[in-house]
Amino acid sequence: MSRWNSACAFVLAVLALAFPFMVNAYWLSVGVLAMFYAIVTASWALLAGYAGQFSFGHMAFVSLGAYTSGLLVKWFDIPIPLGMMAGVLMCALVGSFIGFVCLRMRGPYLALFTVAFSEVLRIVIVSENEVTGGSGGLEVTPLFHGRTDTPFYYLGLALLIGSLAIMQFLVTSRWGLFFRAIRENEDAAAASGVKVVRFRILAFAITSSFAGLAGGFYGHYIGILTPDIGSVDQMGLVVAMAVIGGAESIVAAMIGALGLEFLVEALRSYGQWRLVLFGALLLLTIRFARNGLLALAWQQFNAILPLPVREGVGGRGRFGTGTTPSPQPPPARGGGVS
Amino acid sequence: MPINRTTRGTITAPTRRGMLAAAGAAASLPLLGRRVRAAGEPVAIGWVGPLSPPGGYAEGTNMKNAAEIASAEINAQGGLLGRPVEITYADTRGMPAEGRTAAERLIQQNKVVAVFGEFHSPVALAEMEVYHKYGTPFMACDVWSDQITAKGYPEVFRNAPAVSLIDVTIGQWIAAAGFKNVAIIAEKDDVGLSARTLVAEELKKANIAFTAVDADPNLTDFTAQILRFKSNSPPFDFFLNIYAEAGAYPMIRQAHDLGFAPTANCGIYNSGGEAVDPTFWENVGEAGKYLVTENVGLPKAAWNDKTKAFVAAYKAKHNADPSGAVMESYDGAWLLFDAIRTAGSTEAKAIINALENTKYIGARGQYSFSTSHEPAWHYHQFLEAPLSILQYAEVKQGQADAPIVWPRQYATVPYVYKKPGS
Amino acid sequence: MTDYLLIQALNGLVIGVIYAVIAAGLTVIFSILKIVNFAHGEVYMMGGYFGYFAISLAGIPPLLAVLVAMALSFVLSVLVERTLLTPLYSPTTERKGDYGILITFGISIFLRALALIIYGPYPLRPPSFWPGVFVVGSLIMTWDRVFAGGAGVAMLIGLVLFMNRTAWGEALNAVSQSRESAAIVGINDQRFYMLAFGLGGALAGGAGALVGPIYSLSPSMGLLPDTQAFAIVILGGMGSVAGSIIAGLMIGVSESMFVALFPDPSRSLTYAQAFSLLILMLVLLIRPTGLFGRAHVAME
Repeated sequence: MSRWNSACAFVLAVLALAFPFMVNAYWLSVGVLAMFYAIVTASWALLAGYAGQFSFGHMAFVSLGAYTSGLLVKWFDIPIPLGMMAGVLMCALVGSFIGFVCLRMRGPYLALFTVAFSEVLRIVIVSENEVTGGSGGLEVTPLFHGRTDTPFYYLGLALLIGSLAIMQFLVTSRWGLFFRAIRENEDAAAASGVKVVRFRILAFAITSSFAGLAGGFYGHYIGILTPDIGSVDQMGLVVAMAVIGGAESIVAAMIGALGLEFLVEALRSYGQWRLVLFGALLLLTIRFARNGLLALAWQQFNAILPLPVREGVGGRGRFGTGTTPSPQPPPARGGGVS
Repeated sequence: MPINRTTRGTITAPTRRGMLAAAGAAASLPLLGRRVRAAGEPVAIGWVGPLSPPGGYAEGTNMKNAAEIASAEINAQGGLLGRPVEITYADTRGMPAEGRTAAERLIQQNKVVAVFGEFHSPVALAEMEVYHKYGTPFMACDVWSDQITAKGYPEVFRNAPAVSLIDVTIGQWIAAAGFKNVAIIAEKDDVGLSARTLVAEELKKANIAFTAVDADPNLTDFTAQILRFKSNSPPFDFFLNIYAEAGAYPMIRQAHDLGFAPTANCGIYNSGGEAVDPTFWENVGEAGKYLVTENVGLPKAAWNDKTKAFVAAYKAKHNADPSGAVMESYDGAWLLFDAIRTAGSTEAKAIINALENTKYIGARGQYSFSTSHEPAWHYHQFLEAPLSILQYAEVKQGQADAPIVWPRQYATVPYVYKKPGS
Repeated sequence: MTDYLLIQALNGLVIGVIYAVIAAGLTVIFSILKIVNFAHGEVYMMGGYFGYFAISLAGIPPLLAVLVAMALSFVLSVLVERTLLTPLYSPTTERKGDYGILITFGISIFLRALALIIYGPYPLRPPSFWPGVFVVGSLIMTWDRVFAGGAGVAMLIGLVLFMNRTAWGEALNAVSQSRESAAIVGINDQRFYMLAFGLGGALAGGAGALVGPIYSLSPSMGLLPDTQAFAIVILGGMGSVAGSIIAGLMIGVSESMFVALFPDPSRSLTYAQAFSLLILMLVLLIRPTGLFGRAHVAME
């Protein structure tokens, strides 16, 4: 079984590394954006799907990280990596603060508060246009100068893998257990000795930092920042990516982001209907395949071609335990069940 | 439910399925972007603009319509260089990231030889980096920011006026009309704000007092602000709004309904193109009478055959008069067609050279692009871009029929401004 | 000066009534279904378009078109509820709160995209209910606004009467307090969920049809009222219709006064949009259950 795993990982690694040489510059640019969305979506999945904190303000942190880095580099001419780190730090701070003030809020109240926060930030950026460039945009120094997006792609890939590694580590550690406990039932978790306050704030701080990192990367790639990056529509896109991929699994959410970004581009010929299809897909997924399409596909795949599966912890959700009302068989398990 | 045992070191189910899925998808990648072009293939040209929110998709759609007419015309004539012309329309949604991706796609995937269009300055600025990278000629159609041409990229041309052209004219007209105290609402984006600054400079030169307020582009209710203006002391005698979003219509109606402007004591101007859009009268009604606005097309008296033909064609197909911005899109297409024809080639440098020397006469008159860098925004700018200021005299009046009050050589009426009720 | 402030306040009151209608709908939905309906603004938008097409396609007089819009919005909401919201009542759905958030968020995205295609990009404006302006001294207000205010008040009165004086309304109240107890007494759950969601939608749609002549219609017109409605509902209390009404009026008036009095004119219009959002954030920080919220309203 581990040979199978290694083979898979190897093939994927080769494909990911060879990607820029397999496609033209257009699809490469899509790939770079896909890396961006993957980091944002995975970190949102960690916050909302995994730790159960349904924040709709995630894009505000992307925006914050991007503008912080862009402005600092512009004003003080500091090296871009330093700027990006400053963006990350800023998001960690503000994220902790938001996590703190939201402590007493749950569920939809948290969602509403974060949506309001996100919109207020966007309005401030638009209003204070003398500082931020407002709706006209802020010009940001690009990380690499040159005719090709390849260095951006590899940087994005590195950032994605690094972020994923950190998030996976968190999730398979005791912290992951605490996050899930808080998601399921906060009071029970507190009664069991989980330091809810600390971990809720941590969840926000950590995931906001990743969002800020992605934002910095985005800003220094596109070269011009507008306040829309923090808009509710963008948040909706990320939510859709996570949900369709599978919000309770960071990896599934990441796959959702990558897949959807390429899919959305590939469906260009459908014009406006693209957005309608996208919305319909989202609705159907939430309604009938709440754990995400990836989980659904896996179940069907397993039903036809069962692979030895070890249902491990690190807790990637509870697939097939009746989370949705639709009649789906539990994943077929061939031997080796723990 | 099985007892969860820690299984570190083993990649668990979801990660594996994730990897398989990614592997499958990645394996199909080489099939992308591998289109072989045979000889005799169409001449591919790209059009960019907003066709969905958050961009200004109403105007974008109008501009696309104009491009489609141009495309049909050239193909009816047998195409270019013996090959049919194929325009690919890219929706940039008013977002710079989309613009950049669209530019890459048009060049890499659709192999376009030139691009034209766009409606939002920040998006055009992001796209321009891509055009510059590949050396692809770009005809900017309805973006007014000075930066577009001031950047000095040889690939970039603009057949629309720049903010520096438009708003200096507006300021001069306000002075000539004799107003003394102007209330301004400016849309809070690059164009709105730079426009406001330029008008303000002209007003200062003429010693005209003014108060400027910036407004978010998404607003629809300006009642409180208009009331605030109305109660100002000394009273305003002119209301200038630089607002190109859908909210312009409610703003104009609210100003009228609240008795602020237009009245015998206070005039109103809308800049940005909403007032010459086909949906203007339906949305604004009575309030549009006596409103002043600019038109970036030729005044009717100066219409040449091309203008008349295009107006007729557009009206027949879309049941509306084409505004100046729409004509910019139409002429933008034809400028590229003409350049390719003249150059006898689709090579980028040849097209650019042909454009620099063009003498093409389009629906907006005779075109020529400056090659001067002083000031920076002159470079590849159509300096003689037509610009006239009109004032509606009747409800539901077509923008082409409205009396032109400025510049005086095109004026169709003896007055510079007509007060309501006079 | 007092004249000016009075006019501002009156305008704010009219807008506040519209906000209150939208917020009341949101509150009804929340009371019964226990979810925050993120798609509420889109039903408002659809209502506006329903009214427009009722007038332009079926020739229905504008005053009647509002009722048609409300009826159609009711139908739309019931459709949505039957197809997408039923998992909320099933015992096998976990974390219903999250489901409610996600699905209504998805619905809002879907409806916006659909509206864009169906209705096209051009701003449409239904004809006025009554042309012209109403002038008393230095007070000027269009008849459209007067009508919108009046009709809004009528809707609110109707809602309150319905909730307190009819059997259906009382049953809704019962269900909102305790599903199980209501079921014990024989009140059939499912029909009341349909009714509640439909009623909430009808209110939103009616509001949309009322403001059509005032603000013009566009597919994204529901975004701002949506967040404003949330602010109002939270201010007034998630489960309280009376609270929503009072809060709606308060926010309408203060928004108006904010623009009127904010010292920096170059920022007053942009920050006006943030006004209701800041109120929302502030109230949530101080009292997460709102000013008049019922303490027993719980998520699950």
